[in-house]
Amino acid sequence: MEFELNGKQVSLDLDPEMPLLWVIRDEIGLTGTKFGCGKGLCGACTVHLNGQAIRSCITPLAAIAGQSVTTIEGLSDNDNLHPVQQSWIDHNVPQCGYCQSGQLMSASALLATNANPSDEDIDAAMSGNICRCGTYPRIRKAIKQAAGRMQAATDLAYEVKVGDLS
Amino acid sequence: MKQSTHQAKPSKGYLESMLTTRRNLIKVSGTAAGSFTVAASLAGCGALVNREIQESGDWEANAWLTLQADGTVTFTLDRVEMGQGTYTGLTTLLAEELEVRPDHIEIIFAGADTVYRNPDYGLQLTGGSNSISTSWGPLREIGATARQMLVAAAAEVFQVPETYLHASEGKVVHSASGKSITYGDLLKLAAQQSVPDEIALKTPEQYKYIGKQNARLDNIQKVTGTANYGIDSVRAGMKHAVIARSPYIGGTLVSHNADQVRKMKGIQAVLEVTSGVAIVADSYWLARKAQEALKLEWQRTADGPGSSSEVMKFYQQQAQEDAGDELRDDGDFDAARKEASRVLESSFELPFLAHATMEPMNCVADVQQDRADIWTSTQAPDLAQVVVAKVSDLSLDEVHIHNQFIGGGFGRRLSQDFIGEAAEISFKAGIPIKLVWSREEDTQNDFYRPASYHRLAAAIDSEGKVSGWDHQIVCPKIMDWFIWDAAPAMFPWAPKFMYSMLGKAGLMTEGTPMTPPDKSPYEGADDLPYAFPALRVRHTKADAGVPVSFWRSVGHSHNAFVTESFVDELAHELGKDAYQYRRELLADSPRLLAVLDAVAEKGQWGRSTEDGVFQGISAHKSFGSYVAELVELRISGSEIEVLKVVCAIDCGTVINPDIVKMQIESCIVFGLTAALYGEITIADDQIEQSNFHDYQMLRMNQIPVIETVIIQSNELPTGVGEPGLPPLAPAMAGALFAATGERHRKMPFRLA
Repeated sequence: MEFELNGKQVSLDLDPEMPLLWVIRDEIGLTGTKFGCGKGLCGACTVHLNGQAIRSCITPLAAIAGQSVTTIEGLSDNDNLHPVQQSWIDHNVPQCGYCQSGQLMSASALLATNANPSDEDIDAAMSGNICRCGTYPRIRKAIKQAAGRMQAATDLAYEVKVGDLS
Repeated sequence: MKQSTHQAKPSKGYLESMLTTRRNLIKVSGTAAGSFTVAASLAGCGALVNREIQESGDWEANAWLTLQADGTVTFTLDRVEMGQGTYTGLTTLLAEELEVRPDHIEIIFAGADTVYRNPDYGLQLTGGSNSISTSWGPLREIGATARQMLVAAAAEVFQVPETYLHASEGKVVHSASGKSITYGDLLKLAAQQSVPDEIALKTPEQYKYIGKQNARLDNIQKVTGTANYGIDSVRAGMKHAVIARSPYIGGTLVSHNADQVRKMKGIQAVLEVTSGVAIVADSYWLARKAQEALKLEWQRTADGPGSSSEVMKFYQQQAQEDAGDELRDDGDFDAARKEASRVLESSFELPFLAHATMEPMNCVADVQQDRADIWTSTQAPDLAQVVVAKVSDLSLDEVHIHNQFIGGGFGRRLSQDFIGEAAEISFKAGIPIKLVWSREEDTQNDFYRPASYHRLAAAIDSEGKVSGWDHQIVCPKIMDWFIWDAAPAMFPWAPKFMYSMLGKAGLMTEGTPMTPPDKSPYEGADDLPYAFPALRVRHTKADAGVPVSFWRSVGHSHNAFVTESFVDELAHELGKDAYQYRRELLADSPRLLAVLDAVAEKGQWGRSTEDGVFQGISAHKSFGSYVAELVELRISGSEIEVLKVVCAIDCGTVINPDIVKMQIESCIVFGLTAALYGEITIADDQIEQSNFHDYQMLRMNQIPVIETVIIQSNELPTGVGEPGLPPLAPAMAGALFAATGERHRKMPFRLA
């Protein structure tokens, strides 16, 4: 079984029914992705599959063969925090912090397809992620700030004709 | 129906009164290098100062503070971080007086040690919203003592009086010239200074960080997935364990097919343990698959709780049969009732509640012949030592607790059951294991917020004034469940055969000078702030055999709802405004009155709201802090939609203003979740809820606007992690009455 994890190819010989969550946490050893409910009800285990937010606790390994998975460990680009991570810090979002990896993965997936989400868009994208500490009001503000920051960066890149550096 | 004989709330003075304590007198500690150092305490300040430098060159000034030659300052945090902000708040206290930036301090979590006991309890507990209030003195004194010794050392170097110098950001500066020496360079000399007899603590206008430090110090770890929680712990050679437990409360195992399951792929062991049958496997996934093949037969207990309605009937019956212990009896209620022109009576029912921490219970245990190592997230490391000792051959000092970030506590992790389970499996299997509970197991094997039943009566005299108030509370005592691990932790020298005796002694002496009373049933009721001529508060104990424990705000979580709702009923009965009526009765409680006025003003109490929006208001003191809340809601079809909550808090001196706001927001969401959904029900001796589909949490789309006012104060700091919760439900009930004309005397709130 092969797939891409945080930009690197991984090859594993495991039960194809094993949920991706446990593959990531116990077999690969990346523990930033959390176990909360095991039924796709709380969002603590959210990762990206080809850029989309999915619940890794109910996604069997077989379903991701040959595809690209990103976890919280792969969200930032080396030392540069993703804009949502920086906004989370600016708004003092985390309390116990346990759900925040999942919240950040849901938020970053939202912003990847919606540069300027409305409150309703945020509700729709984020209501699958439970926070028992009640950090929701700050998450909402942080998402909006991150959206603004990403938009400003895009606008400036266009203005100064940064072009494709890759 | 079982009248449990179990028990206890951690109790101040329990230890001290039963033996001569050596706490705060002398501390002997071994260091990694093997040398022993002795530290004598400062008189009266609890700041133990070690004047020796380790071979490594580090100055372990005391159990909390280590300075290194390279400038590293390490703080051993003895109150756990579970979201409430000790990681930042306690570090701020130390940083302020030490004169080091809070974000330059390395923070590690304390292991179990009597030196770290919470002075309010005599146990190493984090709970009861007192981490700041109990650390306020000691941590600032520790910081100031070290700073003064560093300044004294620099005075020797500069050959000037100490008054010519000042400390700032990890350096001692010669004020006139601006020349400076780093703390790291001064260590050896500093450690040799005499410990100052007097410590000069800063005055509020000198604060650099207290009242100003807002950025949480754990943010970066928590947004990058690098914060290590108990569940993230890994040991070499570790296997994964799960436990199949009785579905029945109090059920016992009759038979199992462990032999067949043992043969399955990847299974290391299938063991009978105290709480059921444990499966140890190569991975969590394999353990869970094997569990599906496990066939178990359980025997129900004859005195199980039956159902939720049976529990409530039992409570009501107890209320009739037992008038209860009188906790307060001002004036003469019976006379007031006899002379009353009318009597208003109401009864209230509150359900069991689960804690539902996002991080399910888990523990990594490595129990060997001569030591045990435990990696977990616990609110009570010394109680964790006890549960490990109980299931192994080890003594308490052979049990080493490696505490981690906590993915939600709310009181759940004051109970150490999951740690005992993991240790028992590791001990029996002879290998390190990680035990992880499923969400279903977490929901169904909690120690719940006790369900309660309340009867209130108010006598109203001929002048239309309330002349008497009588409140009877029917619920179990948490002490009956908690004492069994708490008492041995208080007497770490006691041999194991004495453990149950210690528990029984604690229960028998509860409410005497030996063991303070368990206030969890009646806190927030017996200290009613309203000035009624006769005031009687009674507790009738009724324990249905359902495990109970501390749940965020504990007794206040039910008593604030009940008392504040009944005050609303009285205001209505007397034709008065809910806010103005409280004002009349709070003339002698200026701080509570001030927060009430603050929310009334900020929330525009009585404003003409647009169609269908209604207000409710409430005020309650808990954990030393005064909080008022004003709720605005509307009814949308069959749903209650809470639009806005305005909150005012007076918690004395504020250390981290934004963390106070965070905790208010947290308490409001937590309280709202309980008000709209919170209910653990029992049928056929089994918990009916299992996961987040039937034990629901508030989600992003349901969150009201929250506005918080913090009262400026130089009073001593008081609680923040819990006091925002109690006023929410009664304020909401008041708004619901305004909206529907129906009194909601049961939680959660359901529209008729």
